[in-house]
Amino acid sequence: MLRFVLKRTGDGLLTLAALVTLTFFALRLAPGGPFSRNRKISPEVQANIEAAFHLDEPVIQQFGRYLWGLAHLDLGPSTRFRDYSVSDLIASGLPYSLTIGFWAVVVATFVGIGFGLIGALRRNSATDYAVGVIAVTGIAVPIFVIGPLAQVVFALNLNWVPVAGTDGGWRSLVLPILVLSLPNIAYISRLTRSAMIETMRENYVRTARAKGIGPTRTIVHHALTGAMLPVIAYLGPATAAIITGSILIETIFAVPGIGRFFVDAALNRDYPLVMGITLLYGGLLIAFNIATDLLRGWMDPRVRHG
Amino acid sequence: MKKIVTNILRGLTLAAVLGTTALADDVLDRGIGSEWSSLDPQVVFDAAAGWIILDGYEGLVTFDPTGKVIPGAAERWEASADGKTYTFHLRDGLKWSNGDPLVAQQFVDGVLRTLNPATASEKGYYFYSVIRVKGAEALAKGETTDPATLGFTAPDDRTVVVEMLTPAPHILAIMGSFQVAPLHPSVTDASVFTDPSKFVGNGAYMISEIVPQSHVLMTANPNYWDAAKVAIQTVKYHVTEDVATELKRYQAGEIDITYDVPLNQIEPLKAEIPAELMIFPSTEVTYYSFNLTKEPFQNIDLRRALSLAIDRVVLEEKIMKGGAIPSFSYAGGFDPDYLGPKIAEAGMTQAEREALAQELYAKAGYGPDNPLKVSVVSTVNEDSTRRAQGIALMWKKVLGVEAVNEAQERKAWLDTFYAGTWDVFADNLTGDFAGAETFLAYMRPSAEPGYNWVKPEYDAAMDLAAEKTDSTSRNAALALAEKILLDDYIFAPLAIQPSRHLVKPNVKGFAASAASYHNSQFISFE
Repeated sequence: MLRFVLKRTGDGLLTLAALVTLTFFALRLAPGGPFSRNRKISPEVQANIEAAFHLDEPVIQQFGRYLWGLAHLDLGPSTRFRDYSVSDLIASGLPYSLTIGFWAVVVATFVGIGFGLIGALRRNSATDYAVGVIAVTGIAVPIFVIGPLAQVVFALNLNWVPVAGTDGGWRSLVLPILVLSLPNIAYISRLTRSAMIETMRENYVRTARAKGIGPTRTIVHHALTGAMLPVIAYLGPATAAIITGSILIETIFAVPGIGRFFVDAALNRDYPLVMGITLLYGGLLIAFNIATDLLRGWMDPRVRHG
Repeated sequence: MKKIVTNILRGLTLAAVLGTTALADDVLDRGIGSEWSSLDPQVVFDAAAGWIILDGYEGLVTFDPTGKVIPGAAERWEASADGKTYTFHLRDGLKWSNGDPLVAQQFVDGVLRTLNPATASEKGYYFYSVIRVKGAEALAKGETTDPATLGFTAPDDRTVVVEMLTPAPHILAIMGSFQVAPLHPSVTDASVFTDPSKFVGNGAYMISEIVPQSHVLMTANPNYWDAAKVAIQTVKYHVTEDVATELKRYQAGEIDITYDVPLNQIEPLKAEIPAELMIFPSTEVTYYSFNLTKEPFQNIDLRRALSLAIDRVVLEEKIMKGGAIPSFSYAGGFDPDYLGPKIAEAGMTQAEREALAQELYAKAGYGPDNPLKVSVVSTVNEDSTRRAQGIALMWKKVLGVEAVNEAQERKAWLDTFYAGTWDVFADNLTGDFAGAETFLAYMRPSAEPGYNWVKPEYDAAMDLAAEKTDSTSRNAALALAEKILLDDYIFAPLAIQPSRHLVKPNVKGFAASAASYHNSQFISFE
């Protein structure tokens, strides 16, 4: 087990190193720079500004400087948000993205699994189809349609929650969490449904039934555990994606999370900020993948003993 | 790093990250579009963030709701006879928000910090280009670090003297806090601008809360000299990046003054709440530049034909519908006292202009068998592509030109301009103040703005204008220069862009202002 964790962590670090290198050089290929402006300023002053951010150095030297900073846990200064370092901005945005993401994952997991179970147990019934329609809608209708629609219905018409921003305390979070969880509810319910249908046909479930265990225990203790494996495989990377911020959700609902920093940074060629968020996202993705593998190993004897 | 970890832990509980600020009616909620680039008054360079600076700091002068210059920290000033020296007299007993006395040297320190290359500010050009303060350019370029060489001085605690190389009657327009905020000694590095507890300003408001990508909260400064007249005690500047969301927040009562209005909602809003919709000219001009280094565009007949074939009224009123003002000039329309020229054909009907355009197009050697093929480089912004497509259509209809729109992401668009690979460039310029000179000075060939326009006569005309000390004769001289510029058709002027806001009916004191200075201290609730 320890060897497994060490090996996966080692692989993860290698992947991260490749990610940092690729992103660093790919960013420099994009036209323009952090201080290119509509209005041309004198070359000397432009040079002074670029020198202040070491942008005058050869790219390879800048890369060295960046790695040296990373080794000291310094992600560098932001060029778009001049008052802040990259660490400051991540520290400021991540709690919002994490809060919304965390609750969206919780909602999506419970509702998704519930829907999936209903679908599987009442297969081909009206309930199954109803749940299926909801799920397909969640996948098919994009966030930039559902988001504004939800704002009109729940904020403007019903006046239950604020339109956007964070002024309303927890009520401000309701819409972003719900809208963010919708597509995931859809995926999880579909995954649960098909996995459950398959698992119910497995020999060990038939054995459990034959032993005379009641239907509830059979489903919860035997079938559901098995059916959860694909859901967990999906949840790992999905959680990483959700909690690192949804750009659309954050823009539509004016949530100050890191997703918006990422877009702003990329459009404004804020190299250190793009690097910092890429690194964070990559790191989380790798960590969640490792965690998923461990969890599956623990839940599935075939993985454990295989 | 440690901060990240603690914040992550805090983040998992809902209440910790979100304050429980209720929606209070006595708070003025203003949208500012995208997030401020900085709250450092010597660094910040975006207009919307400028509102926060104008509330937090007061310059030597300030601006009334219509943008007119009024006394700020200086109660009066006078110019020397040659117009090159301005002396500002500060009010008695000025204080910083923390109670420290405010002295004239701190205005000088602010300018020195802006010019210091270590500050990496882009705003130094106000002092060596917009006006030409003695010694400013050498300091900005790092040729000297000696503060005594600067012609911006404080002979005593209540006097600021500005010595310039050439007269500049527009100096007052850049003596507000966006350009000349005073510098408190506690500002040693940029980190003070992220921590509201370290905020020290001299404006009507103090920054009391900063959440990146969310808002800046400001509260009235009891130490402001005119604090008794400040009606609204709390102002909240919200980042309102998504213009559709901003409109809904306005409708829900979460925002009192919006940053912008969605273009496709202007017509319905005009019908529903005309009194709340404010559209007025800003200091941004839109124009299409022709690449003078490319063979076809070296022909003035062709440039003129392309300019005349555009129906500016149809473009703005039927296609764009954003409230922009169709324009036949480049620098006119901002300063009511500037009576500048328009392109020669401005007095014709559009039909006459189109007939002339066809004639010139043929004269340049183009026709149905030999159509001109051009690409228009614009940004990917929806407005820009729509304008480009509209113009391409007009060129096609009137002249048979085959134009394509090449939409590029903003930074790429800028790069393309300086690389000179474009045919027609969808250009725009925002002036530093509501006057003609800021636009005309930018076009000077000697300033190398990137248009490759060779015209010593224009530089000479601008030099002549720069000698004039009073604004009337200066404007007259500038008009002569603009005539030279327009007569060469190096670009097709299109429109003056507007500012668009929704303002709640109970908000008073928010008025049309081309310079877009809207200090909260002059706003009140009815």
